[in-house]
Amino acid sequence: MYECRKVIQSPIFLGLFLLFSVYNIYLIVSSSDHKEELKIVNELIDTYGRDISDTSLAQLDQDIQKEMTQLKRSAGLEFQSVHELLENMSLEEQEAYSQEQWNQIQQLAVKEMYFNTARSIDESYAEIDIQATGEGEVRMYGLSGSAAFYLLQEYEKLDKRFEELVKNGEQKQWFFAGKAYFMHSFLFQTVFRHIIIESLLLIVLATALITAYEFEQKTQLLIFSTKRGRKLMKDKFSASIAIALFTMIFLLGITLGTFFIVFDYSHVWSTSISSAFNWEYNFPYIAWWDISVGTFLWLAAGIVLAGGLLISCLTFALATVVKNSYIAFAGISLFFVAVLLLPSFMSKSSILFFITGYNLSQLLLGISNSFMGGGLTGSRNYEWLTVSCWTLIAAGICFVAYRRFTKTDIG
Amino acid sequence: MLVVKEVSKQYGDFTALRDIQLEFETGLYGLLAPNGAGKTTLIKMLATLLYPTKGEVLYNGNNIIDMDSCYRELLGYLPQHFGYYKNYSPKQYLLYLSALKGISKKEALPKIIELLDKVALGDVMNKKMKKFSGGMVQRVGIAQALLNDPKILILDEPTAGLDPKERARFRNLLTDLARSRLVIVSTHIVSDIESIANEIIMIKNQQILYKDSVETICGTLDGAVFETSMEFEQLESFRQNYVLLSEKQEYGKMIVRFIHKETPLVDWLPVQPQLEDVFLYEYRDETNGTGQ
Repeated sequence: MYECRKVIQSPIFLGLFLLFSVYNIYLIVSSSDHKEELKIVNELIDTYGRDISDTSLAQLDQDIQKEMTQLKRSAGLEFQSVHELLENMSLEEQEAYSQEQWNQIQQLAVKEMYFNTARSIDESYAEIDIQATGEGEVRMYGLSGSAAFYLLQEYEKLDKRFEELVKNGEQKQWFFAGKAYFMHSFLFQTVFRHIIIESLLLIVLATALITAYEFEQKTQLLIFSTKRGRKLMKDKFSASIAIALFTMIFLLGITLGTFFIVFDYSHVWSTSISSAFNWEYNFPYIAWWDISVGTFLWLAAGIVLAGGLLISCLTFALATVVKNSYIAFAGISLFFVAVLLLPSFMSKSSILFFITGYNLSQLLLGISNSFMGGGLTGSRNYEWLTVSCWTLIAAGICFVAYRRFTKTDIG
Repeated sequence: MLVVKEVSKQYGDFTALRDIQLEFETGLYGLLAPNGAGKTTLIKMLATLLYPTKGEVLYNGNNIIDMDSCYRELLGYLPQHFGYYKNYSPKQYLLYLSALKGISKKEALPKIIELLDKVALGDVMNKKMKKFSGGMVQRVGIAQALLNDPKILILDEPTAGLDPKERARFRNLLTDLARSRLVIVSTHIVSDIESIANEIIMIKNQQILYKDSVETICGTLDGAVFETSMEFEQLESFRQNYVLLSEKQEYGKMIVRFIHKETPLVDWLPVQPQLEDVFLYEYRDETNGTGQ
């Protein structure tokens, strides 16, 4: 507790934590202009169920037609689709509608968009050629030799998983339209990346501060000559881990709490993360396992926690050796960037190109693609292998740093 | 009780201490040497902060490094330069150190109040230490060294920053403490320990020069310390020929105290050697440094 207090009472740490929390809230609130439209998915799930079937789609189509007839009658217009109506509508015509009518048109347009997307899922998925995508990636990255062979093998496995996914109908579940709202990217790329970078800054700062505290306050002669002696470093390690954990939990809690208050995910927690609606760019998200949005969120939070704790361990080891929080902070920052860039220095014909990608920086910054197939870090075992390997590395480095410290003179 | 057995300490090519052999029992020992002689190195080895390059330190026959926390549990240590947490009060700081010394909060609180009263900081025990003078901080340091009622008390330059009144009080405190424990006081200020130490240890050329009582050490200069007066103009040539210990001006003349081991002149007044005379004589060629 005494060691934790050294950070808790630090104005820089507290100030940064507050600043990051406020910024994250601002980031979410300022990007929430479409939050009302998202609620339509909740309505669809309520009315037609989570799974999209031919029957539920026919029912949705019928309901859309009914609403369209009403709209045609009240507006005195003739149109084939709401999309067509909106496309041909001038500003003057738009102003002629009451707010209520306008809201109805908007809602109907969104429903129509969901219906059209749902109707074209089979067609869109039939066009996906996983093997060809893999070959495209090999060409794009200029891979050859064992690197190319490895990637194509991964895509072969993904192809099997894709077939299984289609067979299970995981893609046929309602979720927020990816191409319209990019909610997966916003949450797991933008928001999570902010949380990750902010957490890492706070964790490295806190760990370096706790570990090198006595040397910077020049209390080392007093403190390490007490009964506890050099074993105090064990307490400092535990305090660093505790602070890292609480920092991440609070930052995740505040940020994600705000996110889910602003955006209503209440009906989509059980939707598969591989839903066709969660298709944002050229390639849909294809998870290696049938996991729901809720499970994916927990897993992503788990990766953040694991990554943060491992970075805390590495910072502890470095700060124990250099005994200076500034050098430790700079060293870990440099390490984070260096391992991120490491694969780009590897031969594109060597398997090392992929092995060096199993690092904490890529794992954390690529969190939106975690557990997904495709891409350079899309191996089925990527997440657990990266975390396991780095746990072993961090444990080894911490042990060596601690042993070295117990045998080092304290001047 | 505490034995320093053939201990040497090297930093790369530099030898700080060589083949140090010492034995300590209950009582007060003064470790006297100029700055840079290796006092602090020796003390840090006794506090397990530095490891000997050669040799070992034994407490009741056991190596203090192997004893680990069992040894440090018996130790009270005041470093020469010690930092403190500026936003802590002495009470908070001592509570933290008590925890590190394995003392429960319940046990520590009355002890802290007692010790802070003893070092005349009772009325500021809840004030932040950043507003404290050097002397006040030093007194907090003295109090922390006594927290665990140590069997071995090691104080490195403990009187730095203390005013004459505080020094006198501190000397009395040390005399009191040394009746039931081993107290080692490292200093380059002779008057701090001259009147209270049971034994004085002097280090020269990385080795022990003396480890004896004040009387015996002073006895090495018996019949060799004199005082005489002269005109100021004569002083420079006198300095060339004799080892001067002190000079002062009195009634327009210079009174000098010096060492001479051969037949004295008749107008020289023989005086009783003091520990400071031995110190100045033995370290006459050494230049003061800051490192230890």
